Amino acid sequence: MSVFRTHVLLPVDVGTAQAGVFEVKRRLEKELSARQLLDEVKVLESGTVGIVGKGVILAVYPDRMYYFNVREADVPRIVDEHLLKGRVVAGLDHAAIAVSPPAPGPKVGLTRAQRRIVLDRAWTVDPENIDEIIAAGGYRGLERILGEKLSPEAVIEEIKKSGLRGRGGAGFPTGMKWEFTRKAPGGEKYIVCNADEGEPGTFKDRLILEGDPHRLIEAMAIAGYAIGAARGFVYIRGEYQLSIDRLQKAIVQARKYGLLGDDILESGFSFALEIRKGAGAYVCGEETALIESLEGKRGNPRVKPPYPVTHGLWQKPTAVNNVETLANVPGIMANGAGWFRQIGTDKCPGTKVFTVLGHVEYPGLVETDMGTPLREIIFGFGGGVKGGRKFKAALLGGAAGVFVPERLLDVRMDFESLKENKAVLGSGAVLVMDETASVVEMLFSIAKFFAHESCGQCVPCRIGTRQILDIAWRIRQGHGRAGDTETMLQLAETMFKTSLCPLGQSLIMPVRSALENFTEEFALAIGQAGKA
Amino acid sequence: MKSDKILKRYERSGDHLLAILHDIQDASPEHYLSDADLRAAADYLRLPYSFVHGVASFYTMYSLTPRGRNLIRVCQSPPCHLLGSSTISRELIKLLGVGFGETTADRLFTLEMTSCLGVCGVAPAMMVNDRVYGNLTAERIAGIIDDLRRGQ
Amino acid sequence: MSEMVTIVIDGKEIQAEKGANLLQAARANGFDIPGLCFYEKVTPTGDCRLCMVKIEGRPGMVPSCLVKVEAGMKVTAFDEQLESTRKMLADVLLSEHNDDCITCDRDGDCMIQDLAFRYGLDTPKRTFAPVWREVPQAPDSTAPVLAYDSSKCIKCERCVKACWEIQGKGVLSMAQRGIHSHVVAGTGQWTLSECDGCGECVQACPVGALMEKPNYGTRVKKKDVERKVVTTCPYCGVGCQLELWIRNDRIVKVKGADIVPNFGACCVKGRFGLDFVHRGDRLTQPLIRKEGQLVESSWDEALDLVAARFGAIKNEHGPAALAGLSSAKCTNEENYIFQKFVRTAFGSNNVDHCARLCHASTVAGLARSFGSGAMTNSIAELEHAEVILVTGSNTTETHPVIATRIKKAVLFHGAKLIVIDPRRIDLVPYAEKYGGMWLRQKNGSDVAWANGLMNVIIREGLLAEEFVKTRTEDYEALKKVVENFTPDKVETITGIPAARLQEAARLYAKAGCASIVYSMGITQHTTGTDNVMSMANLAMLTGNLGKESCGVNPLRGQNNVQGSCDMGALPNVFPGYQAVTDAALREKFEKAWNVTLDDKIGLTVTEIMHHAAEGKIKGLYIMGENPMVSDPDLGHVKKALEKLDFLVVQDIFLTETAQLADVVLPVASFAEKQGTFTNTERRSLWVEKAVPAPGEARIDWEVIRDVSTRMGYKMEYRTIKDLIDEVNQLVPQYAGITHERLMKGERLQWPCPNPQHPGTKFLHRDKFTRGLGKFFAIDYIPPAEWPDAKYPFLLSTGRLLYHYHTGSMSRRTEALPQYVPGPFMEMHAADMKRLGIASGEKVKVSTRRGAIEIEARQSYRVDEGSVFITFHFAEAAANVLTNDAIDPIAKIPEFKVAACQIEALGA
Ligand SMILES: Nc1nc2c(c(=O)[nH]1)N[C@H]1C(S)=C(S)[C@@H](COP(=O)(O)OP(=O)(O)OC[C@H]3O[C@@H](n4cnc5c(=O)[nH]c(N)nc54)[C@H](O)[C@@H]3O)O[C@H]1N2
Ligand SMILES: Nc1nc2c(c(=O)[nH]1)N[C@H]1C(S)=C(S)[C@@H](COP(=O)(O)OP(=O)(O)OC[C@H]3O[C@@H](n4cnc5c(=O)[nH]c(N)nc54)[C@H](O)[C@@H]3O)O[C@H]1N2
Ligand SMILES: Cc1cc2nc3c(=O)[nH]c(=O)nc-3n(C[C@H](O)[C@H](O)[C@H](O)COP(=O)(O)O)c2cc1C
Ligand code: SF4
Ligand code: SF4
Ligand code: SF4
Ligand code: SF4
Ligand code: SF4
Ligand code: FES
Ligand code: FES
Ligand SMILES: [Mo]
Repeated sequence: MSVFRTHVLLPVDVGTAQAGVFEVKRRLEKELSARQLLDEVKVLESGTVGIVGKGVILAVYPDRMYYFNVREADVPRIVDEHLLKGRVVAGLDHAAIAVSPPAPGPKVGLTRAQRRIVLDRAWTVDPENIDEIIAAGGYRGLERILGEKLSPEAVIEEIKKSGLRGRGGAGFPTGMKWEFTRKAPGGEKYIVCNADEGEPGTFKDRLILEGDPHRLIEAMAIAGYAIGAARGFVYIRGEYQLSIDRLQKAIVQARKYGLLGDDILESGFSFALEIRKGAGAYVCGEETALIESLEGKRGNPRVKPPYPVTHGLWQKPTAVNNVETLANVPGIMANGAGWFRQIGTDKCPGTKVFTVLGHVEYPGLVETDMGTPLREIIFGFGGGVKGGRKFKAALLGGAAGVFVPERLLDVRMDFESLKENKAVLGSGAVLVMDETASVVEMLFSIAKFFAHESCGQCVPCRIGTRQILDIAWRIRQGHGRAGDTETMLQLAETMFKTSLCPLGQSLIMPVRSALENFTEEFALAIGQAGKA
Repeated sequence: MKSDKILKRYERSGDHLLAILHDIQDASPEHYLSDADLRAAADYLRLPYSFVHGVASFYTMYSLTPRGRNLIRVCQSPPCHLLGSSTISRELIKLLGVGFGETTADRLFTLEMTSCLGVCGVAPAMMVNDRVYGNLTAERIAGIIDDLRRGQ
Repeated sequence: MSEMVTIVIDGKEIQAEKGANLLQAARANGFDIPGLCFYEKVTPTGDCRLCMVKIEGRPGMVPSCLVKVEAGMKVTAFDEQLESTRKMLADVLLSEHNDDCITCDRDGDCMIQDLAFRYGLDTPKRTFAPVWREVPQAPDSTAPVLAYDSSKCIKCERCVKACWEIQGKGVLSMAQRGIHSHVVAGTGQWTLSECDGCGECVQACPVGALMEKPNYGTRVKKKDVERKVVTTCPYCGVGCQLELWIRNDRIVKVKGADIVPNFGACCVKGRFGLDFVHRGDRLTQPLIRKEGQLVESSWDEALDLVAARFGAIKNEHGPAALAGLSSAKCTNEENYIFQKFVRTAFGSNNVDHCARLCHASTVAGLARSFGSGAMTNSIAELEHAEVILVTGSNTTETHPVIATRIKKAVLFHGAKLIVIDPRRIDLVPYAEKYGGMWLRQKNGSDVAWANGLMNVIIREGLLAEEFVKTRTEDYEALKKVVENFTPDKVETITGIPAARLQEAARLYAKAGCASIVYSMGITQHTTGTDNVMSMANLAMLTGNLGKESCGVNPLRGQNNVQGSCDMGALPNVFPGYQAVTDAALREKFEKAWNVTLDDKIGLTVTEIMHHAAEGKIKGLYIMGENPMVSDPDLGHVKKALEKLDFLVVQDIFLTETAQLADVVLPVASFAEKQGTFTNTERRSLWVEKAVPAPGEARIDWEVIRDVSTRMGYKMEYRTIKDLIDEVNQLVPQYAGITHERLMKGERLQWPCPNPQHPGTKFLHRDKFTRGLGKFFAIDYIPPAEWPDAKYPFLLSTGRLLYHYHTGSMSRRTEALPQYVPGPFMEMHAADMKRLGIASGEKVKVSTRRGAIEIEARQSYRVDEGSVFITFHFAEAAANVLTNDAIDPIAKIPEFKVAACQIEALGA
């Protein structure tokens, strides 16, 4: 399922138009259609990139590869070689876009310079070719640890020093999690990668898995070494078949190269990695539900405490980490904590992968420094509100996220700053809504999502999500009643206080932020009903 | 039986239940798990039947009733909703003449709703069997359904 | 005992056990914290969230049912915020609930109803509109005994956990998710699931979602119930304590009483199978045969006739021409009086009962090895055994509540189960899946595998040398015999692979405490006594006696078969296993009973039948037995009974045997009288009168008293206490089990030698009853009959969960025949194919003794070449076929092995 894994941008301006950009575009679409790639590769006309005199420019995103002076006859080769096989077409005039440190480049749009750590290699190398990966620096972190015989404690220390925090939503310090797991009593331990990625608006983990699966393998081996686990599991949501296939291939290759399995790099350290496939349940992204699911059970979250670090998979100490979190690890181990700390903010070092969506010009994915202002993500990378319409709100962090109004556009996108502003970073999804969008409608959709995804184990969430959906539905249908918003808020608060797991606890975020920031819109929706 | 072969690929350990159910269902042209399938999996893994039923009915990718040849799963999560998935849903209901959770009389299509498919960059999106369709519009839907009808 | 600590709840200091459940501790101290999902008997789920409290030092609210008490804990159980939160939760919960209390069985006895009342949530005052109507419901009323209404289900999972954690079954699960979640049995339909109708889930449900079907005739609400009577189950030897709900003098509902030995659990028979008590065809009037017909008579006429005819036979042919069969369905007191009646009024020791067909070999074998023939340990101890060896006991079907202990030992305490049984019984998965094993032996080869185990144990030095040296005798003789039983040789006899046998030997011998559980598969053989003594040898060799959770544990079958034996309803012993041949003991009883007693050992059941057929026994008094279905070789039994001059049957129904009687005496059932049953773990359990007896039916012991008196041996017992007092006097084991203690609710295990004695949990602690344990060197002898060219199949007989013996009781119930309506034979698929028989087709089964027609059913349980038939169904009576060859010591027939022939009858 490699849908729109790639965007092909064709900057249209006077120069490119004269050079035949539209002919190239037509040919491109024909060739893609012939290879049934239309659902995988999206062809976009973009605004000028500010490069003149280079004929037709064709940019492949997110590979960050520019082809210049493209002729119609080059198109089949670009499609076959690059878009199909992921290899840069030799012989054509091309250039890669500069990455870190940020270099001057286009001011807006997806091709704007990004600082990439976790997606550093994605689409510049063939994800299915371990040699290319190794040549591009793959497994350097693992090699360093095993080669220099760093102790597991030293690895954990390095991660702690780096300040890496979980990218799965909660921002828990990764080094500490590993340390707890390492120190928990018990011989058998596990490292589990959470690739369930179900948060609406989020697909960063998929792109990491599809674009650079070896980075995850390397990270899992390092994590296993650090916490003392001989087995690791990657739990991937069932819909991500391409991710599963790519990772599976990569595991086979890594095993062959002695980077997984027994006695890795002759260091005495052994580590086996297995993929487990989910089957359609958002709640299985919650770490204890994920563990239950890994054990082959219903995805009912467990009561915490005890936490997975002491009682995880099969009741053994287990560290559960998000894909993006782990994807930061090889870089840190290869380049040192100091390098990592230079990026991002003091309390949230490193980069963050954001998905910018909804009413923006360039929906897609952006890796940039933690603490980048929201405005820059939406207007810089996302190209601003689509069609030049007015910005109304952004839903940050997915369905379990927060509606932020215009006045918060300058908030910095990191755990601390967002928290200070009663918002959340969550998974890094940024859903932009323009002036035509309805918050009432969106809250309804969120409520529907929660009602559909509640595991049903506990009363407040099982029934509460349904009640909130019913109220949201009638407000949306224009049948809202006086007191509905108050009831909704009260109920969401009760759910926050009493739900068994964070799923039921988190509906308060969108509900409260919608009602507080868009009070009038709700009043209007209910008021109209009163008149009707 | 076919499921026997699938079962033997796995160790007799409960943690393989989800994978076994996936494989058995994938082998079913009607995209579902029959009562016999559930029992076979339970017997193989030595799990109580109810346990296997509980698991199979929990996850949305499994179905305990036969589904059409083309399983259409329309994303209705907020990003797709914002970009018009309800129009897409309405169009599909109109074209197929069935509601969500239902199968057409010719057993060609089953319409289901799904939560975010992780392709929100091309919202609104849907999945037909293993294939994702993005940037959907009412007009495109008609064409896709036509293709699927013809492609049978 | 655990440490007591102080905690503070709402400012009040409270003492609680450290680690105790906070909700329970709070409730015990008067803090009535609401909560629906918490159920003391299972692990907490924390689903309902109503029991939320605040605990100092922890953020927010926490469900108290998930918190363990710690010293110094400061808890807020009630404040405005908690109460308003709870109220809102209750409001939310009610919106999912179909509160149709007007017609709900649980009205007045319902936790969610109480909750709504408590928070004043009358319908108009609720904030949340009902949603249950809009949610697809998944009711299931397909099970014979219960119905599930999802619209009333609060998804608390108590039923799911009860089925798994209490019963060890796992029939239930939650299905689907979110607002659609509901309870499901098996793969979705209760009748097609493995549910065996124990009703544990119903008992666990806090609301009206899981309800009994009105198998007792009417639907009842708790408030309609006039009385609740705690009594003892009349079916099997577990002795479950049942709470009978009574209305209009009828049993309307049954619950497991929360006391020893079952602690609330019971099986389908105890819970749903007691309506036979109220059947219209209960005997209500004495019947006398006149002109070949049984006609109603008065009690006086009947009793006079009985006394006169027996008196005449005695005068004419002497006491040896009379015999009596006592009853393991009757109370201790009734058995006591019956054997006394035979020994005094009849004047012989010709008294026996169904134990002869059952555990006679246990009584004989264990008496020889240890000195007393009963379960050495208690039921509850099984849960903590490290290894349990179950052989020849289909425990889940025949002693279901004991089976739950075994399952729990395996599932929750890491015990390993070894099953040695020719059939793949339901315990097998619990052995195979959890580190134990199942060995399939050939029927009747038990001595061989037991010797084989001992061979390995001795050779590998796994024996308990110290125990053998100090506590036993004759070890050398044993050693010599078992030397021959090498694993390879045992493999050729039993079919058990040598390597598996070795594995089993190690598993059993290395356990710190290992318990042997056995039943009819061991006892019902011509080598029954040998088999039993082999079990004793095995346990002694490994030192598994005289301590907790080990031992040799024969599961006694009938509700009071232990008691019947204890009370001397046996031809060789007076009450308390005091030999009739011992002059001093005889003198003791002669003095007490004021008669001269016969000094010769009397006849056993099987011998009585032979003597009757030969015309040597002329008068027979049968109290509560149905030999016309239960004895081996029924053709012969019929001839014997028809040959009698005079046959009296005293029963609650007109059984197949009663139909042959000259006089039939109607009596009260267990529910209509008082007394005691002694269960399989030697525990004396009170039987309480719950309803009046139908018509003119009288109580067994009163009838015997009156017949005896009319025959000239005067008996003057007026109350049950008179009988109990006499037993206290004469039976040393029961000396301390007094009426007073029984009335106080004590449930004592014998030996209980004096009124201060607490009873005995396990036997042979420091010394065996006979002093030293005795090893018997036993060689293997094959069964009396074995398949051959003419009779190529091996026929074995036994039981089913849903029926009881001759079906006299179980077939007269609403629920049980719904599970199994009639007779069938289990057969292996390959054999059926070979003979061209389709499952469900009728076949003719014949042995050297007779033939029956019966439906053949394909079964995964029996091995190729073997068939299995239950003896519950008179219309296709297994005992037409069985061999009456007997064990020379115990005189028990070989019900478990016969050779038969099978013919297809075509469709
Ligand atoms: N539901 C129900 N419960 C009952 C009864 C009832 O009728 N119905 N009756 C009660 C009474 S009185 C009794 S005595 C008990 C009997 O209880 P059980 O002894 O448990 O019952 P059975 O079905 O007679 O046989 C027990 C097992 O012996 C096995 N077996 C057969 N042949 C051999 C052999 O040669 N060696 C060995 N080791 N095993 C063999 C059979 O496969 C079977 O699993 O049940 C009591 N409980
Ligand atoms: N083929 C085969 N035959 C067997 C066996 C086998 O495994 N295979 N097992 C044998 C064993 S172990 C046993 S224990 C016997 C059981 O054989 P039986 O004892 O003959 O069988 P039950 O049907 O229990 O008979 C009890 C009778 O007592 C009556 N009754 C119930 N309550 C009362 C009461 O309060 N007072 C009086 N007076 N009567 C009452 C019942 O109606 C019933 O008629 O069967 C044996 N027969
Ligand atoms: C309902 C719910 C869904 C979640 N989904 C995901 C997910 O899809 N991926 C993820 O990494 N974490 C998810 N989480 C967070 C995990 O529980 C957990 O905190 C995370 O995997 C820890 O990894 P990290 O420390 O690397 O962030 C979810 C949490 C909840 C409550
Ligand atoms: S909060 Fe929701 S998802 Fe979490 S346990 Fe409760 S019902 Fe399940
Ligand atoms: S379950 Fe309780 S509240 Fe519900 S209808 Fe029955 S009695 Fe009423
Ligand atoms: S009746 Fe017993 S076996 Fe059946 S579901 Fe309930 S608890 Fe389980
Ligand atoms: S049936 Fe009863 S016990 Fe079971 S989940 Fe529903 S309410 Fe709870
Ligand atoms: S296990 Fe035995 S005593 Fe207990 S209820 Fe069942 S039949 Fe009665
Ligand atoms: S919201 Fe529809 S694919 Fe993510
Ligand atoms: S009783 Fe504690 S959560 Fe239900
Ligand atoms: Mo028995």
